[in-house]
Amino acid sequence: MTIDSQSSHSLRVTLFAGMAELAGRRQLDLPWVGGTVADLQMAVRAACPAIGPLLQRSAIAIGDRYATAGEAIAVGDDVAIIPPVSGG
Amino acid sequence: MANGIAECSSAGARGVRLARGPLDPTAALGAVSRPTAGGNVLFVGTARAATDGLLTVRLEYEAHEPLALAVLARLQGAAIERFGLTACWIEHRLGMVEPGEASVVVAVSSPHRRAAFAASEWLMDQIKREVPIWKREHRPDGGGEWVHGGEPPDAVSRAAGGDRAAGVGS
Repeated sequence: MTIDSQSSHSLRVTLFAGMAELAGRRQLDLPWVGGTVADLQMAVRAACPAIGPLLQRSAIAIGDRYATAGEAIAVGDDVAIIPPVSGG
Repeated sequence: MANGIAECSSAGARGVRLARGPLDPTAALGAVSRPTAGGNVLFVGTARAATDGLLTVRLEYEAHEPLALAVLARLQGAAIERFGLTACWIEHRLGMVEPGEASVVVAVSSPHRRAAFAASEWLMDQIKREVPIWKREHRPDGGGEWVHGGEPPDAVSRAAGGDRAAGVGS
């Protein structure tokens, strides 16, 4: 994913499956100057209250790995919200 | 998603694949076959026409592909180590899947059968809890819903092995 269209103070967060359906979009662009995973969860909840209940049961991914609870997220990170999975 | 339109993506690790077309269980079984392995187990998960009494006309799968491939590669390596497998092949279908078609294929081989049976069951349990792939059940009336019934995936993987939750590859 390119971030050319993003400002230096925003973060693009990718949504999947039922979360994208609830939000009515696949990406959220959040105002962001840096913060932790917990900060991100608060910012997502504020930007899109409809996904709050599912967000509580979701993990956060940075790139191709799951983030840990206190991990820092910087502008430009490839961030996604991972709700409970249902493959197989 | 970066590679959301790819026909097929793999993690660099051989034998871990996400595919937008039909899966090939026979090829998967052939890929793990070795002269030193006397136990070969092939699991094929197929789309079911009903769940809990609700009819499903087709399933739709989507994935966070780079993360899914990284987690699948980690599970492949973990299974080989944990069960002493000779070889392991995992592939998952994405997009629309009709009832009866394969959505997931796990093929493992080991010197003896018990490890192969145990590894295939363990891998399917892990895949269903940890790999960021989701299914939508499409109903006959045109409706449907995404399935998000379980626990958050990272909680499971942290409990299962701490920093092994971190992805590998790419």
